[in-house]
This record gives sequence, structure tokens and C-alpha cells, in this order.
Amino acid sequence: MFRIPGMGLAKGMATTLIRFFERKATVQYPEVRQDISPHHRGRLVLLYDEWGALKCETCFQCAQACPIECIDMGGVDTKNRYHIHWGPPEQYAERREESALRRSGRPVPDRTFIPFDPIDVGPLDRILEEEDYDPGHMLAILEKTQAAYGHLPVAALKHISHATGAWYAEIYGTASYYEHLRFELPAGRRIGLCRCPSCTLLGGGRLREALEAAAGTSLPGTSPEGALSLEAIDCHGDSPTEPFVTLDGEARQGVTPASLAELATSLRAAAARPGRA
Amino acid sequence: MATLLQTPRSWPKVTLGRVTADGELLPFPRAERAGAWAAWRQVVDRESPDTVIRLIGQAGLRGRGGAGFRAADKWWRCQATESSQRYVVANGFEADPGTFTDRLLMERDPHAVIEGVAIAAYAVGATKAIVAVNAGYARAIERLRGAIAQAEEAGLVGIDAMDGGLTLEIEVRPVQGAFLLGEETVLLRALEGKRGMPEQRPPYPAERGLFGKPTLVHNVETLATVPWIVTNGPAAFAAIGTARGREKAGSPGTKLVQLAGAVARPGVAEVPLGTTLGEIVERAGGGLRDGVKLKLAIVGGPLGGLLPADRMDLTLDFESLREAGATLGSGSIVVADESACAVDLGRLLERFASDEACGKTIPCRIGLKRLVEIADRFAAGHHRPQDRELLVDLSNDVIASGLCNHERLAPDPLLSGLRYFAAEYDAHIHEGRCPAGVCHPVTVAPSATAAEKKARVSA
Repeated sequence: MFRIPGMGLAKGMATTLIRFFERKATVQYPEVRQDISPHHRGRLVLLYDEWGALKCETCFQCAQACPIECIDMGGVDTKNRYHIHWGPPEQYAERREESALRRSGRPVPDRTFIPFDPIDVGPLDRILEEEDYDPGHMLAILEKTQAAYGHLPVAALKHISHATGAWYAEIYGTASYYEHLRFELPAGRRIGLCRCPSCTLLGGGRLREALEAAAGTSLPGTSPEGALSLEAIDCHGDSPTEPFVTLDGEARQGVTPASLAELATSLRAAAARPGRA
Repeated sequence: MATLLQTPRSWPKVTLGRVTADGELLPFPRAERAGAWAAWRQVVDRESPDTVIRLIGQAGLRGRGGAGFRAADKWWRCQATESSQRYVVANGFEADPGTFTDRLLMERDPHAVIEGVAIAAYAVGATKAIVAVNAGYARAIERLRGAIAQAEEAGLVGIDAMDGGLTLEIEVRPVQGAFLLGEETVLLRALEGKRGMPEQRPPYPAERGLFGKPTLVHNVETLATVPWIVTNGPAAFAAIGTARGREKAGSPGTKLVQLAGAVARPGVAEVPLGTTLGEIVERAGGGLRDGVKLKLAIVGGPLGGLLPADRMDLTLDFESLREAGATLGSGSIVVADESACAVDLGRLLERFASDEACGKTIPCRIGLKRLVEIADRFAAGHHRPQDRELLVDLSNDVIASGLCNHERLAPDPLLSGLRYFAAEYDAHIHEGRCPAGVCHPVTVAPSATAAEKKARVSA
């Protein structure tokens, strides 16, 4: 291809020339000040004082105030062993107490803070040892923890977070996503209903609506007082002529919306404690 | 109770060729005599990885998980990506409730699945393979583990297998807890121990998958056909099913299909692709139950489409079902008789899709909820004037924003219902009646005009 020598240079210089006569973009800052939105808070950085110490008091008020919980504080501990992240919002108050104690020299109780129940971490430590403290095995760790404790206590998740180095938020995200992992002890009675197209066709939809109304919750869920939980189960084609319904894992035949609602109501009523008028 | 249906002799058997009638496994030496692991020996002794992938390409094998992606393309891509470690993941999660095609395959012929995994791993150069199985399938897990142990004992796979020639570790991993685990990127996140949400593609898992390494993800059924292709040659495989045309990709091979609903014999059958739906119901399912008339078929599981009786001449392949508004999906065909209501079914299936949305894409999380609400209004007779247009608009938005196939397929039960059962929707919306007598829509009198109201007030 034919090229004129120096053409590129000429083009470049032409651009320079055009820019030279344009309005300048530079703002002469101390003399001239631009309009800034009143919402502008500047760059979010941790400031240092004149002695080089961090000005951040780790009061966690920023993290607690953040409406979308995007502020999360972390670092390594003093022996450079664990990567620590302050996790759930309920922890922030705990940290604030420490911070207030450090600054004022007296304890400042925080009424919004409800401490979680402590657990015996012995079994959990053995599980973590088996799984090599590997965050890649998180599902196996959580499943084994649930098998050992019956559910996933907050203290266990915190301990897993510290031991594996995975963020608490990430562990919580995993644990809350999978339906078989639970944060509370299971309810006493369980009603299961299959949602496959075949069962739906045979009237599963109406059973579900009746059941949900009677139990006061939506299908994977536990009734408000905690006596009855509804589970989404799979019939695997075992029930070709009617919707597949189970009570505590046992299949039940001949269920109608009315009888299912009655069953749910009676199970909830059986667990109710007598009240005083 | 996983029933295997008798199919006509003229229908070829690819994946279920070796299963016994009583469902018991053959002891390992007898299974080997019946042909298990022959393809693996042949591949390792005589073929290079490239020849294997070329073979799969010539056969035109497409993924059986639902999307129908060409298998060879994935294999080339995975092989071509530079990495110190590659994985093969076999997806045996079988998400669709009520389906048991994969379970039947894994229980009746675990050797074919494991052998397919091994050949795929050899072709792409993977040394680790994971078979992810639904944790509810205790028997399938036990049999797969047994098959792996037997193969390791025979020196076929494992560390320094095949006379020290190669290393391949295969592991069975039970997974559970979410419908979306059937989606490949979601399954990979679950195997990494993370929240199961789909990822943007590209990069495809074949380039960056499990723990950031190139990963070949296939449904167990796809992998189980691989040994057959190696043994019988790609031409024999391509001869089954629909041929590749000038514009059509073609769907060669067979598919495990599950028949349920108002058929005489519900169960699983292996069907050559390209067979018409009517023929499948008639010849594999033994026709309908006595005294009922076919009204519609839900094809492709809970996210599938509702196809009316006069579309039963559709052939079972990836493209023609997509064009008709259904999907091959898990291969489930649920047949409904006259007592079913298309509006109600669409509504309930949509509710399932909305319940199982993971929430990563907002049109899917909120859009599907709105679709359910619109469908609820149709069924209850409380529709608003713009509801129909809104439903179609919103469905298109949800489909367009799709990150994974869940939301691309989720509006199908409603869209296909509107397409084929418009008269039934009209009856619900305009006349306040349900022709099948399932829903109880309420007729709402058209609101009085301003002039009438004025007249009433003054009277």
C-alpha cells in the first residue's frame, strides 16, 4: 500500500493544533472551585494522621450504616496468621463496644447487640481437620457441621470463617443458598409435596395452595410457630396416578386439598401450648 | 420404581444397549465381556486424543443436558486452553423433579458413564474427573463408586493406570439443595463450595471452569454415548436420528425420554431423535389410558412448553421443539387429557420457575414473579386490560437478559400456552369461565361509564 511519508506526524500535529485553541479543561483549583454535588463524600479511604497512625478507630459505624452492606472491614491479625473479616451486621455492635471501651476507658453496653449462643467447637475442629481447612470443601464442611450440630449455628460459621480464611459473608451466602442447609433446628413434623409437571397435572397445584394457606408459609418453609415444615420433594415417577405427598417421609395416598389443609392445621394445633384468656 | 419401557426392535439402542431386564448389575468380568471398557482399551492403545475428538465431531454428538451444544467444539476448546490442570465433570444431578432418566442410566449401566468420563478425560488431557450425582440417588452413587473401584482394580483408571501409561482419578460427589445445580456453571460453583449462581459466558467452562481451570462439563447421558461411538464408529451414530442439513445442525443419536401423565405405560425409553411425539406416546408408552383424549403434552420438564394434540407430529429433536416453543430438556414428556386447563398448568409451572430462580439477574428474579402474578390474574378472572401484552413483553425481556438457560426457558409454559391455547385464555379473560372446569375465574362486569354513574347518582 502506498503511503505518504510524514502523514502520521502531520495528523498528530493537526490534533495538537486543534486542541491548542480549544477551551482548557484544567481548573485552577485553589482560585476556581467546581460545583460539587452535596451528596459527594470524596474518595473512601482510610486517613492517616500526621504521625502516620491510622485515623480509623474501627468503630464500625460506617459498616453498620451502609444500607447495602458493601462496607466490610478486614485485615490480618497481629501475628499475621489469620485473615480476619468482620462479618454479619450483628457483630458490629460487639466491635463498637470494644472500640468505645478503648476510647472512653469505660464499658458502653449496646442494647441492639444480641450475642449468639456459644457452641462446643470440638466436633467442628475435627471436621475442619478432616477437610484440610480448605474453603474449596465448604459444602462438605457445612454438611458435616449440620450433621454434628443438627443445624448451622452462627458460632460455627464464625469459627469456620476464622479457620479457613473464607469470608463470613461468603460462607453465609453458601449456607443460605442450599435448601438442605438450615440455621434452625428442624421442625417436629414435615409435609413434603412434589412439584414436578406430572404431579402438578394431577392436582398438585391445588394441594400446594391449600397447604400453604393452612401452614401459613410458602412451600419450602416452616410455619410461624415452628411446628410444621413444608418440603419440596421429588416423586421420581413413583406416583403416576396422584400427586406425591409425604408426611415425615412416608408417602400418603388419597390426599385432597381439604384433607391436606386439615392435616396441616391439626399438626400445628397439636404443638400449640394452652394459652390464658 | 424406575420402569424401563419396551421399545420396538427397529429403534436402535445406544446408551441402554447393555442393561439387563431385572435391573441388576452384571459382575465385572461379565460386563467386560458384554463390551464395557472395550472402547477405553481401544482408545488408549491405538488412538491419539485428537483422533478421538475428531471421531466425536464426525458423529455430530450434541449435549444431552438440554442445550444441545456440539460436544466436539467443547472438547477442542478445552484441549486447546493452556493449563496445568484440566477437569472433566459429569453432570448427573438431574434437576427436573419427577424425572429419572439419568438415575436409570447411572444405576443400570454405571460402566458406560465412567468409561465415557475416562475417554473424555483422555481426549482433553484431564487427570481428574468428578461425577456429580444427586445426593438422593443413593443406589446410583453406590453403583458408580463400585464401578470406579472395579475399574481401578483392573488397572483401567487410577494412578499409573493402563500399565503406568496415564493417571486419571475419578470421584463421585453427591450434590443437592437447589434446582439450578443442573446448570453447568452453577454445578461448578457448588463443587467449589460456593453459592450456586450462573456465570457470564464466555469464558466458557471449557476455558475457565472448576477452580479457574479448563473444565469439560457434560451430562452423564452424553458421556455414556461416547464409548458406543468409539466402538461402532461415528457413521453408525450419525445414521441414527436426524441428518445434518444445509441449515439445520442435525440431531444424531438417541435420547432417553421419560413418559408420564395419562399414558398407559409411564416410564423411560430410549428413543432415536427424529421420532414424532405421537409415535413415542403410541409405541413406547402404549398409547393413552383407556377412555381419555389427549389434550396437550408438556415437553421438556417444568420449563418446557405446552404442545397441543395437533402438534404431536413434531419430531423429537433440538431444533424443531425449540421452534414449536418447547424444549428437549431432560427429555420428559408429560401427557395431559381433557381434564387439564392450559392456563392453570402454565401458571403453576411458571410458579415453579419463579421459586427456583437464583436471583442473580434481576429480570429473572422479579420478572418471573410478575409473570406468575399476571397468570394468577388470568386464572382468577381479575385480569387487567394490558395484561396479555405485558406478559409477552416481559417474557421477551426476561429471555433477552438471560444469563443461563433457566430464564431463557422459564416463560415457555405461558408463551406456548398463549400460542396454542389462545381460545382457552380468551375464555378465562373475556368470558370468565374455565372450559376444563379447573379454575374458577370470576366474571367482572365492565365498569360503568361516567355518564351512567352520573345518571345513577341523580336518580
